[in-house]
Amino acid sequence: MNIKITYNWLREYLDTDADAYELQKYLSLCGASIEHVIPVEDDWALDIEITSNRIDMASVWGIAQEAAAILPRFGKKAHLRSHPLDEKTSSITQSPNSLPLTLTISDSHLASCARAIILDRVEIQPSPEIIQKRLRACDIRPINNVVDITNYVMLALGQPTHVFDYDKIQNATMLMRASQAGEKITTLDGKSYTLPGDDIVIEDGSGTIIDLCGIMGGQNSAVDEHTKRVVFFAQTYNKRLIRTTSMKTSARSIAASYFEKGLDEARVDAACAFALELFAQNAHATYAGESATPSKEYEPRIITTSRSFIVGRIGHELSLDECAQILRSLGMEVTTDSNDQLSVTVPSWRKYDIELPVDIVEEVARIYGFHNLENILPPPARIQQPKEIELQLSAQTKIGTLLKHLGYHESVNYSMISKEMIEWLELEPAHHLELEETMSEEWKYMRISLLPSMIALMKQNYTATRPLRFFEIAKVYYPQTNDLPHEIYKVALASNDSFEALKGDVESICHELNIRDLSYAISEVGFFAPRVQVNIMSGQTILGTIGRLKKSNAQRVPLKEDVYLASLDLKALIDDAHTIPNYRPFHNFAVIRADVTLDVNGQSYTEIVAKIQKASTLVDHIEYITSYKETMTLRLSCSLPTRNIREEDVQNEIAHIKQALA
Amino acid sequence: MTPTRDILPAFEQDLAATTTLDTLEQLHIAYLGRNGHINRLLQAIKDVPEASRRSYGSEVNELKNEITAQIDAHRQKLILKADDEGLDYDPTVPGRQNIRGSLHMTSAAIDEITAIFARLGFIRQSYPEVEWEYYAFDSLNIAPTHPARDDVETFFVKGAPYDKMGRMVLTPHTSNGQVREMLRLKGKPPIRMINIGRTYRPNWDTSHVPMFHQFEGLCVDQGITISHLKGTIDHFVKELFGPNRQIRLRPFHFQFTEPSFEVDITCGLCNGTGEIDGAKCRMCKAGWLELGGSGMVHPHVLEAGGIDPELYTGWAFGFGVERVFMMREGLKIDDLRTIYSGDIRFLEQF
Repeated sequence: MNIKITYNWLREYLDTDADAYELQKYLSLCGASIEHVIPVEDDWALDIEITSNRIDMASVWGIAQEAAAILPRFGKKAHLRSHPLDEKTSSITQSPNSLPLTLTISDSHLASCARAIILDRVEIQPSPEIIQKRLRACDIRPINNVVDITNYVMLALGQPTHVFDYDKIQNATMLMRASQAGEKITTLDGKSYTLPGDDIVIEDGSGTIIDLCGIMGGQNSAVDEHTKRVVFFAQTYNKRLIRTTSMKTSARSIAASYFEKGLDEARVDAACAFALELFAQNAHATYAGESATPSKEYEPRIITTSRSFIVGRIGHELSLDECAQILRSLGMEVTTDSNDQLSVTVPSWRKYDIELPVDIVEEVARIYGFHNLENILPPPARIQQPKEIELQLSAQTKIGTLLKHLGYHESVNYSMISKEMIEWLELEPAHHLELEETMSEEWKYMRISLLPSMIALMKQNYTATRPLRFFEIAKVYYPQTNDLPHEIYKVALASNDSFEALKGDVESICHELNIRDLSYAISEVGFFAPRVQVNIMSGQTILGTIGRLKKSNAQRVPLKEDVYLASLDLKALIDDAHTIPNYRPFHNFAVIRADVTLDVNGQSYTEIVAKIQKASTLVDHIEYITSYKETMTLRLSCSLPTRNIREEDVQNEIAHIKQALA
Repeated sequence: MTPTRDILPAFEQDLAATTTLDTLEQLHIAYLGRNGHINRLLQAIKDVPEASRRSYGSEVNELKNEITAQIDAHRQKLILKADDEGLDYDPTVPGRQNIRGSLHMTSAAIDEITAIFARLGFIRQSYPEVEWEYYAFDSLNIAPTHPARDDVETFFVKGAPYDKMGRMVLTPHTSNGQVREMLRLKGKPPIRMINIGRTYRPNWDTSHVPMFHQFEGLCVDQGITISHLKGTIDHFVKELFGPNRQIRLRPFHFQFTEPSFEVDITCGLCNGTGEIDGAKCRMCKAGWLELGGSGMVHPHVLEAGGIDPELYTGWAFGFGVERVFMMREGLKIDDLRTIYSGDIRFLEQF
């Protein structure tokens, strides 16, 4: 979360010669990042990022404490002027009549501490100009003196508080309890919530809920311009319950972002004292009594660690005294002994943050300054690169580079696709992992095929210059029962060239990977046109499928022209890949090439080639030339490694081959 | 009787009319080839009276030499002239165009990042994208109710929680690989790993896409310190961005590292000054650009990976691939969503 405070406000607590920009520079290096300094009239608003562990810093006082530890290390003066947490009394006038109020907490695990103070003769009016100005500079809209007090105290000390209209609380009773599921409340901002149950709420004893604790007060007990008597309420809650309610109801407020991180009980009394002071000054109110639950005394946590532990993690020599001095500057009590041990007492406001010796390391390291540490490379160590990943990466690089040079554009597409895209291929949405409450129907299912994404590319870029060629190498996700999905890499290609062109490009991939024994087999994929689709094989292994999208599927998209698609299994390609092609010794005897036109007799090219290879001893290379009606022309390269063959040998071989094919 | 020289005028006429090397070769064959004039004259020797044969032969030879010499001389002239032809041709017109494809900028970036860390002995790893909540959060010291889960918006997969693993999520960061790598090595350091992968968060605006890429560095060993983290990131930054870049660490908070840092590098546009010609640099914040998060591996995370945090320490970082690449190239992509839009007008530029 980010908070805004102002520079002049900070100086009420901190005596320093650092200007707003120096503060930004030095605090950002060693503490909270001051992301922006924004000049506002005669002041500067400081926009500060507060990490979730340091809610204690989310106030003017909190930043003053940090600055007091950090600035002197950069040669800047910085002293805390006062310690507001020690201020527990105020000078407010007692009301002649004390008013009744009963505050009860039904279960001590709901809230560790709470005070409800009644203020009488409250005059509702605008806050003094300085308070309004500061609140505005910090992006909080001034409302009236009473509401402004709660916000001002929250920003000053980091303790959210609330004000109720005393006269709107029936029975002068505040009963804090866990909610029942289904109870309802309408909050100050007019929003209504049905509670999930186990939320912290306050009711008035009659069952009416007047506060959704830690998040927002109820509309029914809100302060308005007619309010005369006020209950000022300061407390600390069970952070987990606040968090859960806020998550389940999606009700967010600045107060919730404080309470859910766990606040320091010691700050409740300080916040009350400061608020009473402001009620007296700004609303001329009088004190008419209070009801409080005793705060549990903080039992200080003591962490024992050693200089060597700290130095061993920072990687920089520091003396025991230096470590102790840094920790003391942050409000910790430190004792050291001659064995390099440190015993650190964690202050109450850091109790949720500093639990382990490594937390002490962080404090020492950041205040000493990360910029003062050397840059050193880690010592070398031998770790075996898992082969599977190395092979996958190198295949990806080879295929990607090849396809790029074949004119393909690599696209990285979302792993999540829409129901509509699944239906382009008539796949089953139920066979996909489905995402919950996604932000858009476009990202609903984890794809089990890259092809819908490829089709989307062809559709989207329809108007671009021809030819269109795309590829992607990415995972698909096959759901498993009671386990994570199988994540499998696929290579997908799409083009509008032709079936033959795409087959040729897929063959190029196989050649690049030195995959041997390639052939095609008829495939039967539903979304590919019949007879315009094949499996590409290495031996008996299917490497993938190539085909033309069926017209009826193309119409679903819709696509205006034919699209050719290929989907290959990267693992299969890798398994059949070789680092070098199959080396064959060559000879210098004559090679005779003959173009032969054969009767197909219903046989596929693959079958014809297999038969030729089986029947012939002379043919050592076959090149496809063309097909015409029931014939196919092949160029046969014939030779023998032992002698020069003659034209008659080839003529005899062709006759023999024709016989074998008949 | 010197009939042999009769052909000479015709030859000289033909030769004069010959302007290309090709036609000159034809002329050569017509006169000096197997069935050429000279050979025919030589074959006719049998019809020459015995007594004159000797002088006839030497005359034909003389003629042959003369023709050969003229042809050779003419050839030299034509060869010299050949390079002067086509002087009106514009040599600056483009060459024959090959079809151009492209690799996605993310692929290119991943290759570079992998190579830089390979030089330091970091292995490349890859871990699930659809992940158990346990590895994405719990094992990283982020309990289910912890507010830090808010910082990491997450896609959930439909389905009931599975045992201690929790629900299935799309991993919102590559940090899910930390404990997985520790467990793969059976809790026995050393670990030097770069895990690069797709990551997912439900955000959609000009600077957020629901799917992006991260690279995660993890180094665990005896005596690993903050200085080693600084040294490694400094090396990476100088390799990828250039030797003049500097880094700084700022305190931050992550549940799975302690201490935790944000890493900044000096801006390449203003050279870390925050100003260009007296005006504020529009690229950076006061001379610095945010690279990403890092820290010393939290003892609870080491324990989840079966590693004794008393014996071993380590660091980890997780940076965005797209962000780093764009920062390096000084690319101003106004709308990050363009990167994964599949628009060929974007793709073809890489």
